[in-house]
Amino acid sequence: MILQIVCDVLFLISVVFALAGTLGIIKMPDTFSRMQASTCVSTLGVLGVIIGGILYAAIVMHSASTAIKIGVIGLMILVTNPIGSHVLARGAYKSGIRPEKPMETDDLGRDFDE
Amino acid sequence: MTDMLIFAIFFAVLATMNLYRLTKGPNAADRMVAGDAMDNLICCAMILFSLYSGRGIYLDIAVLAALFGIIDTILVGRYLEKGRGL
Amino acid sequence: MQKTKFSAVLATFVLCFAFWILLTWSFTLQELIAGAVVSLLVSLFAARFFIHVKAGWLVHPGRFFSCLLFWIFIFPVELIKANLNMAKICFGGCKAINPGIVKVPTAMKSDYGLAAVSNSITLTPGTITMETAEDEEGQNWLYVHWINVEETDPEKAGNAIKGTLEKGLRRVWE
Repeated sequence: MILQIVCDVLFLISVVFALAGTLGIIKMPDTFSRMQASTCVSTLGVLGVIIGGILYAAIVMHSASTAIKIGVIGLMILVTNPIGSHVLARGAYKSGIRPEKPMETDDLGRDFDE
Repeated sequence: MTDMLIFAIFFAVLATMNLYRLTKGPNAADRMVAGDAMDNLICCAMILFSLYSGRGIYLDIAVLAALFGIIDTILVGRYLEKGRGL
Repeated sequence: MQKTKFSAVLATFVLCFAFWILLTWSFTLQELIAGAVVSLLVSLFAARFFIHVKAGWLVHPGRFFSCLLFWIFIFPVELIKANLNMAKICFGGCKAINPGIVKVPTAMKSDYGLAAVSNSITLTPGTITMETAEDEEGQNWLYVHWINVEETDPEKAGNAIKGTLEKGLRRVWE
């Protein structure tokens, strides 16, 4: 019973952060800020579900394989997500996408544009 | 037990909200950001639905969704950078 | 094309076989033999793309436990702080942002150290590493997109972005 409440609280935290990231993706003004908001979805938005799911599967369902598979999914998302985000940001910058409002400082453009 | 289903429906609704940016986004990078977020949210919904129904096959679908999500993000990023994939 | 080393093949084989066991989760002899054959083939072909330097760098008690300490205790605190900050911005209507790209110096020398630092920076919401570069004196620089630029001076911005992260990671890689 107590475990049920703990799992529900973890899932609720996850839903709140995923909602924050989704609102950020919809309302942010330029491309790079949207990428920052989408990081919020893929860290704490996923991590709450992963930890709650592992607890529930290991203690209530008594199934080790389910718990380990959920752990593998979480590890895979957490390890591979920054690589994709980095590649996408660099590709967007190199292909000429700039925000409408000029940025505060732009050291990358200063050093690499001849 | 039913609360898992309710949270899974929440995640599915959030993934549907990302569809706005996926259709409207001004350029390819915006669409890919929304697609990546949708992929992660659908993964979460699959995990919760698997715990609700007690069948392991949804977890395999979630593993494949996580794997292919990263591959297409990297593919689109490299294409934007160099003009060709990988 | 570099030559395939035995330690690289062994490390890749162990990783592939552990992944096979995690995905199938059955311990009959047939499944284990099939998994061993498949992961041996994969590791013979893929080891030279996968591991470039020493394969057994983490097999060392000091490095392993400081790595574990970093990923369990130091990093989640930073992650939760940055997430709360980002959620505050998003629920407040996305008005309080001031984006910009700053250039920060890093003390890491090896490839693995650079990858660890830049991936940790990218994983905290609010900062994305966009490019790494090396200048004439061998100093490595990271170009970081920051959602709320507070400092433009490289040293101070570096302290604000990755102070605790780099201090924890310096004990593992260099």
